[in-house]
Amino acid sequence: MTAELRSELLKQRSTRTGLGLFAGLLGLVLVAMLLHAYALPARILDSTSTQLMVFGRGGFLAILFAALLGALSITSEIRYGTIRSTFLVSPRRGRVIVAKVWASMLVGAAFGLAASALAAGVGTAALRARGIDVQLSGGDYALLIAGGAAAAGLWAAIGVGLGAVLRNQVPTLIGICAWLLFVEGLLAGDIAALGDVGRYLPGAAAAAISVQNADTLLSPVVGLVLLVIYATVAVLAGLLATARRDVA
Amino acid sequence: MRDLNLARSADDRERFPVVIGDAGARDPVVTLTSLTKRYGDLVAVDELSFSLRPGTVTGFFGANGAGKTTTLRLLLGLAEPTSGEALVFGHRYRELDDPARRVGAVLESSDFHPGRSGRDHLRTLALAAEIPSTRVEEVLALVELAAAAHRRVQAYSLGMRQRLGLAGALLGNPQLLVLDEPANGLDPAGVHWLRRFLRDFAAQGRTVLVSSHMLAEAAQTVDDVVIIDHGRHVASGRLHELTGGERTLEDVYLGLTGGAA
Ligand SMILES: Nc1ncnc2c1ncn2[C@@H]1O[C@H](COP(=O)(O)OP(=O)(O)OP(=O)(O)O)[C@@H](O)[C@H]1O
Ligand SMILES: [Mg+2]
Repeated sequence: MTAELRSELLKQRSTRTGLGLFAGLLGLVLVAMLLHAYALPARILDSTSTQLMVFGRGGFLAILFAALLGALSITSEIRYGTIRSTFLVSPRRGRVIVAKVWASMLVGAAFGLAASALAAGVGTAALRARGIDVQLSGGDYALLIAGGAAAAGLWAAIGVGLGAVLRNQVPTLIGICAWLLFVEGLLAGDIAALGDVGRYLPGAAAAAISVQNADTLLSPVVGLVLLVIYATVAVLAGLLATARRDVA
Repeated sequence: MRDLNLARSADDRERFPVVIGDAGARDPVVTLTSLTKRYGDLVAVDELSFSLRPGTVTGFFGANGAGKTTTLRLLLGLAEPTSGEALVFGHRYRELDDPARRVGAVLESSDFHPGRSGRDHLRTLALAAEIPSTRVEEVLALVELAAAAHRRVQAYSLGMRQRLGLAGALLGNPQLLVLDEPANGLDPAGVHWLRRFLRDFAAQGRTVLVSSHMLAEAAQTVDDVVIIDHGRHVASGRLHELTGGERTLEDVYLGLTGGAA
């Protein structure tokens, strides 16, 4: 298992995919923070809950990129055929999937940590520059960043599971983007409008971990537990899908 | 498990169209027993049985779509047979301990991430198989890719990719090599090198199963021959027995598969 994990970590490091995603993520976080901090009216940005919501966009972008990273870890092997040599060396396919899950969770969590910290830092600085008081406590910041890391790590696992089930790279990536940006993207903007079900969806559960908002989101602990369940189900589905299906 | 296989292989000796080698003496390296793979109505591999003699190069021949690659995928645990079984060293591939140290295989010449260097590709495999990275340098030197190893695979020629695939198969210093059309894309010097390499490999008591369409080239390399057509066994045995020392492998092949006179 550790052998497969080492191999997966080197796979992550040895192409430019991970670095490219990371750079894209940080760039987007920067743009998103500046847009939010300068485009929203000051009286809205004044409230703690809005500030948490805005800074939480860092974590939201991180779960998207972490999911793409996790999905790519399996779909790119299928696309380029390296899955053959991977399974020849490690014919216990479950171990390969589990190693991909851990490796992607690790990198995904790092994505979440960096993106949340950048969002909180840049967001706070931008609001202060506008003369808006930021009333978040140290605990709020800690939760934003730790929760962002946990959520992105878990979404990376969801990405691996989804990629193992769908296998085809482009539909998988488009599916993840569509879900998070359109379906749940609406919810992230205005969860209450879509009723109570919205808060139980995997994107909202991820947001709940770091963005405290009792009106629209689950509590952080419930969000975490729910997201762990989603990730577990996705990974199990990926394991099942990989166990017996033929490799082309 | 082991006893069972030995008993069966002895028992099956009569049923095999041609059993190559001394199957009873030790575990056969490869044993296919009524191996069958269906894709819907299509029977890609049809009740195929043969085994390999240790220390030989066996050529695996058949027309496009005859089922060679499918057979190799079944043998290597990449696909599940519909019925029958394929055993490597007496086990199903997916149940082998440490498969990389027993079997090396190349099925496709292009199975690389284009953005990863040749060296890193081999390192990912070495890590998974717990093979020291010094061995990566050894196989790179062996296939004469050391100078290009730091470059990304997208810059490799077809022949360089073939060599990189072979290097990956050799990482674990295996006892069995399974190659699907390895000479494809090699330059004349590369083909010559590959022939020498496979002969040396077999001379050390190790075993090679190699598919090819290049019959004239293969005739210079292989000891034994297995020919299939539409997934079915057509002929197998020692090369010199099939050709009788007079006809070429191509004549024999075309005669058996109905390709020409
Ligand atoms: N995954 C698959 N799904 C459906 N049919 C398949 C699949 N893989 C192979 N086949 C079919 O099985 C048959 C055998 O194919 P295979 O690739 O084994 O032939 P081959 O002998 O390797 O041919 P070639 O010399 O062209 O490489 C072909 O008719 C092919 O179309
Ligand atoms: Mg083929």
